[in-house]
Amino acid sequence: MEISSTITETQPQKFALPVDSEHKATEFRLFSAAAPHMRTFHLSWVSFFSCFVSTFAAPPLLPIIRDNLNLTATDIGNAGIASVSGAVFARIAMGTACDLFGPRLASSSLILLTAPAVYFTSIASSPVSFLLVRFFTGFSLASFVSTQFWMSSMFSAPVVGTANGVAAGWGNLGGGATQLIMPLVFAVIRDIGAVKYTAWRIAFFIPALFQTLAAFAILIFGQDLPDGNYQRLQKSGDKQKDQFSRVFYHGISNYRGWILALTYGYCFGVELTIDNIIAEYFYDRFNLKLHTAGIIAASFGLANLFSRPAGGMISDMMAKRFGMRGRLWALWTVQTLGGVFCIILGKVGSLGVSIAVMLIFSVFVQAACGLTFGVVPFVSRRSLGVISGMTGGGGNVGAVLTQLIFFKGSKYSKETGITLMGVMIICCTLPILLIYFPQWGGMFCGPSSEKVATEEDYYLSEWSSKEKEKGLHEASLKFADNSRSERGRRVHSAAMSSSEATPTNV
Amino acid sequence: MAARGLLLVSILVLSCFAETAFGAENIISFASLKKTLVVSASHKQGLLKAGEDKITVTWGLNQSFPAGTDSAYKTIKVKLCYAPISQVDRAWRKTKDNLAKDKTCQFKIVAKPYSSANQTFEWVIERDVPSATYFVRAYAFDANDHEVGYGQNTNAGKTTNLFEIQAITGRHVSLDIASVCFSAFSVVSLMGFFYAEKRKARKSQQ
Repeated sequence: MEISSTITETQPQKFALPVDSEHKATEFRLFSAAAPHMRTFHLSWVSFFSCFVSTFAAPPLLPIIRDNLNLTATDIGNAGIASVSGAVFARIAMGTACDLFGPRLASSSLILLTAPAVYFTSIASSPVSFLLVRFFTGFSLASFVSTQFWMSSMFSAPVVGTANGVAAGWGNLGGGATQLIMPLVFAVIRDIGAVKYTAWRIAFFIPALFQTLAAFAILIFGQDLPDGNYQRLQKSGDKQKDQFSRVFYHGISNYRGWILALTYGYCFGVELTIDNIIAEYFYDRFNLKLHTAGIIAASFGLANLFSRPAGGMISDMMAKRFGMRGRLWALWTVQTLGGVFCIILGKVGSLGVSIAVMLIFSVFVQAACGLTFGVVPFVSRRSLGVISGMTGGGGNVGAVLTQLIFFKGSKYSKETGITLMGVMIICCTLPILLIYFPQWGGMFCGPSSEKVATEEDYYLSEWSSKEKEKGLHEASLKFADNSRSERGRRVHSAAMSSSEATPTNV
Repeated sequence: MAARGLLLVSILVLSCFAETAFGAENIISFASLKKTLVVSASHKQGLLKAGEDKITVTWGLNQSFPAGTDSAYKTIKVKLCYAPISQVDRAWRKTKDNLAKDKTCQFKIVAKPYSSANQTFEWVIERDVPSATYFVRAYAFDANDHEVGYGQNTNAGKTTNLFEIQAITGRHVSLDIASVCFSAFSVVSLMGFFYAEKRKARKSQQ
């Protein structure tokens, strides 16, 4: 069912970017701040960036904090685990909140409610209080889900992968930037005259204020959809509400969601783990200054500037030629190579080689994150929010597990832990071999030849016949049509003949 | 692409082996040093406070050693060192025999040119010293700045004459107040925004 552009609406809206029938932008112009699409993009990635800065503000200052609060290696490990465990369930809940309240209110509420945890880090005085503040600050990482949800609401299929990849990648940059920012801020405050143990406390006000201001910006300048905010649209009947229980069921009963949750735990989860341990690793192993260790640690996270978006773009490129099978092969290959370089990183003993290996490792691991979210949008249409939340939450579970097994206490030296983590990456990436779409195939099998499986069969299986009678499945039908390009080049001619939503300028 | 990756990996692995092969230096081992100095530390009873309390350190050559033992000694560095109990589960304070990698003694009390007579120094505990249990050790350095002898105020097992130092918290009342105020402001402003939205919605309906 196409919505024709010749029907004039009561209020003809003018958008700075070309839009489709749902008013989603069909172009992604990075250097524009035009409302609402690009402005949303910038609000979104900056606020997500601020959450990452806050969550990983402690690790680069740990050499100071561990002496001030008398922390043991076990205390530090526990706090690191706590910092990423809160978001496991928060990410799944965030998907629901976005559905019900809209990404603008959901994300700004989360960010403002977790800001106190960052302010209170300044007055932490024991291992327990340190763990608590890191735990509550970590909840803010659930804003990943609202970022992706918001991008999917503002950007159309041809550019949604890029928009999602850049927003997520630039947000993850915060994990790297904070390793630079915090030692710098600490040094400035200390040089002004504060003693070490006071300087780090004052330094925490910077990420806290940044987070508060980012949330204000969202509330003042943001809007949920190209046409306005949820509250207004729901009252006028322009937006349909789906049933939460059905959406949730179809999400968690899809095995592909669980496999992707596991594998995302071993690209994104590994990224979070490294954010937590790498500064201390370089400081202790190579006897560097705090400032220097921070710069090296930062370069890991800063690679996100291009590597995660590149992963998304590689996924799209592979899909053009080889369809979904190409996406899966690219994901498995890149993530496995990430594991190989992780093993090497733990083994090298000289500083220069260590930095080089870490940089290569970071590119592969972050590209794998981007590649994962090249597959996620196709797993389910009705339950996209739940699948995204599961995958995102799985990322944090991976971070919790790796820190628990390899980086808690003094059982393994950090270098051994890193090598073993690499082995675990390779093992936990193998399940991608099991992902199979009847209409497109999997890594080793082609599409189902027993019966002609179509995209419609797959996406409409999420709706009951009663729901189909009411016509609730229309959006899934449209999506199924658009997703035919996942068959790859050999059926490109078939894809051309099926009608796609023509972009319209309103 | 896989072949190039394999080549890159093998070059990296080979280069790190090459680095370790050429990396051997002159390692000064703690076990090779003789305990030729007598060191003692006196302080008040009980818990010492960083930034406030003092430790008086006295050191000198152990006269029972043959004359000429101290011919190479040029400087003495007296350091504050972690006792074993404060090293548990803290790899960044680990004792290693290779003195270049040893992290037992991280705070310098004083450095003085060597003299054969006994010397004393009164040290106010610096404010960045963390809460832990400590002992005092003095290293004798030669003209090349290599350790050639040592002495400490405790026994070989580091169990006697230990003292505890309590660090400053680094907290100030003004920081506490600022934290609470800004946190409250964040939460209250969120409520304010919600309220303003509700009012706008009600107004637009009228």
